[in-house]
Order: sequence, then structure tokens, then C-alpha cells
Amino acid sequence: MSSPQPTRVNIRTYQVGFGDCFVLSFFYDDRPRMRTRRILIDFGTTGLAKSGPRSLRIVAESIAQHCEGRLDAIIVTHRHMDHISGFRGRSGEIIASLKPKLVLQPWTEDPRAAVDASRPTRRLKRRQSFTTMLDDMHDVAAASLKELGTQSKRFSKDVRQQLGFLGQDNIKNRAAVEWLMKLPCKHRYLAYGYGSGLERLVPGLNVHVLGPPTVDQTDEILTQRSRDADEFWHFQAMASKRVVRHSIRLFPKASVRRNMPPEARWFIPRLDSIRGEQLLQIVRNLDNAMNNTSLIMLFETGNQKLLFPGDAQLENWSYALKEAPESNRNLKLLGDVTVYKVGHHGSLNATPKTLWGKFQRRNQETTEDRLVTLLSTASGKHGNTDRGTEVPRNKLVIALKKDSEFHSTEDISHGQSYEDIEVEVDHA
Amino acid sequence: MTARQMRTRYLTIVAQDPGLKLNGKILTERVAVPAECLDRGPLGNRVHVVDYDASTQTLYSPADLEASGAYEDAYLKPSSITILGDPGFHAQNVYAIAMRTLARFESALGRRVGWGFDSHQLKIAPHAFADPNAFYSRADQGLMFGYFPGHSGMVFSCLSHDVVAHETTHALLDGLRVGYMDPSSADQAAFHEAFADLVALLSVFSLKSVVKRVLSRDSGSNLVPASAISKAALKQSVLLGLAEEMGDELGAYRSSQDALRRSVELNPSRGLLNQSEFSEAHRRGEVLVAAVMNAFISVLSHRISQLGTVTGNMLDLNRVAEEAADVADYLLTMVIRAIDYTPPMHINFNDYLSALLTADYEIRPDDSRFHFRNIIRETFTAYGIDPIPTKSAEPGIWDHLESDVTYRGVHFSSMQHDPEEVFRFIWENRQSLNLFEQAGTRITSVRPCSRLSPEGFQLKETVAECVQTLSISVGELKRFKIDVDFPLSAHDEVTLQGGSTLIFDDYGKLKYAIGTRLHNWEKQSERLRLMVDAGCFDRETTALGRISALHTERFMDTHSHRREGWK
Repeated sequence: MSSPQPTRVNIRTYQVGFGDCFVLSFFYDDRPRMRTRRILIDFGTTGLAKSGPRSLRIVAESIAQHCEGRLDAIIVTHRHMDHISGFRGRSGEIIASLKPKLVLQPWTEDPRAAVDASRPTRRLKRRQSFTTMLDDMHDVAAASLKELGTQSKRFSKDVRQQLGFLGQDNIKNRAAVEWLMKLPCKHRYLAYGYGSGLERLVPGLNVHVLGPPTVDQTDEILTQRSRDADEFWHFQAMASKRVVRHSIRLFPKASVRRNMPPEARWFIPRLDSIRGEQLLQIVRNLDNAMNNTSLIMLFETGNQKLLFPGDAQLENWSYALKEAPESNRNLKLLGDVTVYKVGHHGSLNATPKTLWGKFQRRNQETTEDRLVTLLSTASGKHGNTDRGTEVPRNKLVIALKKDSEFHSTEDISHGQSYEDIEVEVDHA
Repeated sequence: MTARQMRTRYLTIVAQDPGLKLNGKILTERVAVPAECLDRGPLGNRVHVVDYDASTQTLYSPADLEASGAYEDAYLKPSSITILGDPGFHAQNVYAIAMRTLARFESALGRRVGWGFDSHQLKIAPHAFADPNAFYSRADQGLMFGYFPGHSGMVFSCLSHDVVAHETTHALLDGLRVGYMDPSSADQAAFHEAFADLVALLSVFSLKSVVKRVLSRDSGSNLVPASAISKAALKQSVLLGLAEEMGDELGAYRSSQDALRRSVELNPSRGLLNQSEFSEAHRRGEVLVAAVMNAFISVLSHRISQLGTVTGNMLDLNRVAEEAADVADYLLTMVIRAIDYTPPMHINFNDYLSALLTADYEIRPDDSRFHFRNIIRETFTAYGIDPIPTKSAEPGIWDHLESDVTYRGVHFSSMQHDPEEVFRFIWENRQSLNLFEQAGTRITSVRPCSRLSPEGFQLKETVAECVQTLSISVGELKRFKIDVDFPLSAHDEVTLQGGSTLIFDDYGKLKYAIGTRLHNWEKQSERLRLMVDAGCFDRETTALGRISALHTERFMDTHSHRREGWK
């Protein structure tokens, strides 16, 4: 008898507002005794939708029910709050009770890289410096939020809003990070080209890990400036900590003026405003860097290819699409994608035009094999329409609607907590 | 002489940055700055220091530089504790370096030089925020210097001579060529950075006593071994690295670990500018810096080789330092003066080379003393920068205007200062000057200058900028055969610019018209394509943040991949 192959795949997209939460279910209808395999991809939010579930606990209960008490694997694409905040507290307990066998995370989350200093290999050292950089980034985000909290009146409303959102999303979600680390099951930390281990849990599934590249993989293509990025964040973090701790001044003994002299009244508010813009620029860079640690997963079974790139942005994609020795093969593989989870909630930098152009199933006609696109997002939370940075990016949404069978969590009916998409698998 | 009659005063500054120490002491230097009656701040006629820290919302009391007496140096022989811990010294440091840089521009150009904004006084915030960054902002009319905790204490960018001179130069260049801050080509963005680096580097080298002390390591000896001033040793000199302390703390950009940028060590190659690595503004700018600084080293080495040894293989330290300061000073004058011979917008490195050569040729036609022009041509060519092809007797010098122009109805004296008079002249000659009549045309500046040659002759010229602007919708561009894939709608407007720098001689005759025609549609297409690639039409790109963002992007490599986004 031939080895089992899924006959259909159900993709459940949960309404979590600005966040991601998907469950993939692989059915083996021609094997009545074989149970359905389930994979949870991300579980977090920065703000639930008013029309959807009122808490992540309710979402977790729905996941448990949907999975019939059993989860095979969890994929955590990266550590942003809107992807992991459900992995803690009561919602975390419910997910843990589903006894997942495997947790997949990007290599940047490998705890050995962060703490194991006893293996002074070049690779480990480089990785350690990267994970230290992530910690520095969290510190910068926390400090920015603190600065925002204490001095917010100086910044414009737009800066305040964006800084608050990005700062919140980028602080270290310690409880969730530790929860994931302690989950009693096998953990794998993946990078471009690594084996996922999912094939053993989900028969008939072939998984391609297309990102993120490791420091070593990108070493050859990075310029010196990029290699200085960890130093940059280190100094940013030190500078930020100083601000946070600094109710103390830079020169404690120097005399200060309480009132603004008339000749400086034009300039000082401008300096305050520059500071706000500058903090926002730093936190935006930080947000992008963190997004670029995202796992890019391509699930292949029969004629179906499901692409889940988390929040990966152009720089992360760049390796798989351009610099990797197998980039041509990757492009060919991606050309045949049937379901695309739109990257980073539809932001302008997460669906590379090269990639979009390669999708052969893009089609303006409603055909059977038309590309399916899934967008989990909430408008008005992130970015700015005047600057053309709104999420989801309007131009992208227009293209998605025009050329694919488009599903957005914003279109889920009031009171509903999810949307199901089902695709048949043809192994011919 | 009474204090009121003094033309200059001397103020102590950090010679390079607190990282440069001799015998354990931070190297300082007293520099001459124009004397003026200062208010607290200091607040002078061209610079206003406002010591406000936006990260902690602290406004430090303004420094009183006249506390020790009018025109006295309040910080004579400062200790390291004072240098690092007294905000008043920091205020003096930024004030003196900014004023010295301004004075240097004015002496090279032979006239007063304004800032690039509508105010006479440049604001400087020496401790603007906790951030490893420093930048010039036209909109805020100021220079902002950040600070951050380094490995061995606080790093103040306001104490780095290179950083302060660099940012002041941005503000000065913006005053001379307002169009150079606009997005154009990779060369134009790089030029602002390279020019600022060159002024910073050459300003330090022209401090004779600093050169002397660095070469002798403050040993007290008046002799220096020839090996210490070989070409290779000069390239390694700390004086040729920009911002030593910030470089140490921030990690080097390239293999040399001791300076923020050490452009001079960039190996010459004609293909360098075509490599993708050199498309980023700072990196590209380094190529221009490398070309100029290698010319400097070649001239200096040649001059030192003519000195002869005093004993064995030892040279007279005083003479070496004098030569270094002379050559640096000469080259700095040339580098600054060249700006007057550049087009008002859309500059590229080739234009600048021709401007350098022409500026020098005008003041000193005989190149036999330093051979500077020959050496500059050679080093630039080695880095793939060729002069603009011209018909002049010496290669690369701009062509003298040969077309027939009429001076009918214009008045000589008004032509030296009155934009209306110059406009009347160019309008009368619009066909000879190849202007595009459908565009808006404006004379943006008329600057009479009186330059002094090394031989003591005066060269009087009037420099005027003529700018043409055409605002049209994206849809209309096809009319001019401009076919560019814009991230804009057909109704959105784009602005095309062209124009010339007009140089009039001391008889009011037009000598040079240096520029780029607005109706060179092929060039406009090429430029627009480059601008689209560089993200210049992205709505989040603003002139306000451009220099600040550039300084951050240098670390982050965030400039790439723009074509892939959904702009």
C-alpha cells in the first residue's frame, strides 16, 4: 500500500484583529483510520477586533475544539507580540493541553545561542551576537515607550500613535517567549534550507524553509555596514537605557534653566519634535529588523503549495529569491503557489513584487485553480496613509483583490471568530 | 590694541576628538576665530548655541565665553575633566569649530557666505539627544549633536572636530548650492557627504601645531624619521581618519578598526563607482574623498622629498609640519572655491573635478609649483572619475563661453549684485544660453567675490545662479519622451530642473555658463529613473529627515530593496 497522502487541507484563519493565528488541518479521507493532523501557525494580537472574540482565551478554546484536543505542531514565525501574545496565561494553558509534539521557531530564538558561551565556535559567537542584538532591540523599544510615556506631550499625535504601537509590538514578550521555551516537546530552530521535521508528523507533507537566512548564509552578501548593525543596536540600547534611567541629567552639577529664554523658544520645541521623529525612525528600523527574523514556510502536498511567510520583509526574502545558490529553484517552486498568506498583515514591504510577479495562478477570472490569498489584519493600527505606509497597503490590497481569491479577516462577519478555506489535494 | 579693535580671537578646541591623546592628555589646540561681541549661549552674529537635551528635557544655562574677560579664552589648557564634563566647554568647542569653518569658506570664496535657510544664525544643540547620530537640518536651521555611552565613558559627538566641521559644512554647502540637498543622482547625495568629509579632514591637517605634535608624538624632538612620513605612513595617520572616537565605539566600516571612515585607504579602481556597494551615499562619497586625499598625499610626499634630511634619515619636523599645513590649506581653498564653478543642481563627480581644475586654473594658471592639477587629474582618473570633455587648452577646464551674448541695456555695477539685472541679461540672451523658454526661470543668487591668489593677485568675479523649473504632471511627461515607471498617479506633479552657474569677470563679461539644460530629456529620464530607484518619490521620504536618516541607514543598510515594495 502506498504511503498516506492528505486528500484535502483546511486553513482556518482566526479573527484576532491585528495579529496572526492560523490552523492548518490535513485530512486523509481515503484512510478512515488515520486522524487529521493539525498545525498552529502563530497566535497573537496587538489589539482584538471589536467584531470578533473578546479574548485570546476564547480563541484558544475554539482552537482546542477545532483540533479535537490534539495539536501536532506549533510554528512561531517570530517573536513580535502580534504573533505570540496568546502563548501565555490561560490561553497558553489551553494550547499546552493540546500536547503539541513539535515547536518550530526561527534560529534567532535558539536559547543555546543566547546563553551557551562554552562553545566558542565562530558560528555560535556570531549567533550570540545576533541574539544579543535582539535583546538590545527590545531594550530600545521599552525605552522608547517609557520616553513616550513621560514626555508624550512634546510629540505630535501621529508620532505618539505610531511610536506606541510599534514600541508595544517590539518589547520583549518575556512571558510568551519563556512559555514557548518551556513547552515540554521537541523544539527546532530553523533557517533557510533547514529540515523542519514536520514531514514525520504530517505524512505526505513536504516543507521548504525559505527564511530567515542565518548570519553565515548572508555573510557573503552582506556589506560591512550591515554587519555593524549589531553594534548599532548595542549603542542605541545603551543610549536608551541612559534616557530611561535619566531623571538624572547628563551634567548633574551644571546649572540649568527652568524657563525657556525668548531667543530659544523657536528652536527648543523643534528639537523636541525631532526627538519624536527620531525615536519613531529607530523603532521602525527595529520593527523591520525583527520582522526579518520571520520563518518563511512553504507547505507542499500534491498539487497544493501553501506559503506562510509570517512578517518577513524584503531583506529576508532577498536571500531565497536572489542570493541563495538555489534561488532559481525557489522561484520555480514559488511560481506554483496555490495559497498565499499575505506577509506582514499586508504592509508595503512584505510581498516582494518579484514574488508576486512569479505567482502563476494569479488570475482575474474566477477559475478553479485561481490563487487564494489570506490576509489577517486591522486597518488604522499601523502606518500612515498620507505617507503611503498604511497597513494593509491599499495598492497591495487592490492587486490582491484583482488577481486572486482574496480573504481578509476584516471581511469576517460580526460575531464570527474565524473563516475556513478548504482546498482539495490532487496527487495525480 | 583695544579688545574692540581685535579682528580675531583664540579659543581652545579639541584638536580632533577626545580619543586622540598624547602622553595621556586629550589633544587640544587654540584656533583663531573672527572676534565678535558674544552674548551668553554663546550667541554671535552667525551661530547660536542652545544647549537643550531633548532626551531628558534639560536646558543647560547658556555658556558665558566672556567670563574671563572680553575676547579671552575661558578654557585655556583645559583638563580632561573639564573637556568631558563641562557643558560650557562643549558650547565653546562647537561655536569655535563652526565659526572657524565658516571663516575658512569666506576666505576661500572671497565673500560672506550665508546658511541654507532664512536666518543669519545657525542654531547648534551640542547635546541634542541620546543617540549615536549628528546631523544638519535645514528646516530646523540647526545642527544637532547626539551623545551615547561608549565602552569607556560618554561619547560626545560635539567634541569631535571632524563631526562638527562635517555638519557645519553641510549647512554651508546648503547655503551655496541649495539644490544639492534635493534628490537627484547617486553622485549628488554622495557629494554632500564627501565634500563635508573633505573639509573636515583638511581643516585638521591645516593646523600646523597639531600635525607637528602628532608626528612627533609630543616627544619634544624637532626631528622626524623619513619613514614616519612616507606615503604609506601618511595614509595610516590618525589625522586622515574621520571621527576617531566615534569610529572606535561604533565599529569600523571597513578593515581598519580605528576610524569612522578611512577613505584614503580605498584602493583605486576605475570600476569602483559601478559596484553596487558604492551606490549608497556615504560609501560612494568615500571614492571622491579617496581621490582628493590621495592627491594630497602625493603632493605632500613630493614636497617633503624636496626638503632634504638634517641628519641621517631624519627631517626637520617644523618644515614637515609647515609643508603639510601649507599643502592642506592650499587644497582646502581649492576644494571650497570649486563650489563656485559647479552647476546649481544635479552635480556629479565629473562636474566637480572640472570645477576643481577650473577654480585653480583661474587663480593660478601656472601649475608648476605644486603640480596639483596634474596630480588631481591622475588620482581622479584612477578612481574612474574623468573630467568633462572640453576644448580648452588644459584638459578638464570648463570651456569659456564662445556664443554671442549681448550686454545691451544692462548696467555693470548692478550686474554684480542685482538679480533683476542679471535676469534681464539672461533673458536677452536666452537663446545663446540655451534656456528652455516654457520653464520658470529665476536668478537665485548673485555673489560678487574677490579672491586672492597665492602670489597676491586679486581675482574679481561675480557668480550668479540661474535655475529653471518645470512642474508637469506624470501624464504629460510622455510629451517630452520621458518614459519612467513612477510610483505616482498620472495627475501627480513632478518637477524638472535645470540651470547654470554664470561666472562674470571683473569687466562684467560672462566667462563661464556651467550647468545642465532643462530640456535635455534623455538626461532628465535617466535622472528620474535613478530617483525612482532610490525611493525619492516615496511619500515617507522627506527632506527634513534625509540627512538624519542617511546617517542611520549607513549602519542599517536599509536603502536597498526599494523597487520591491508597494509604493
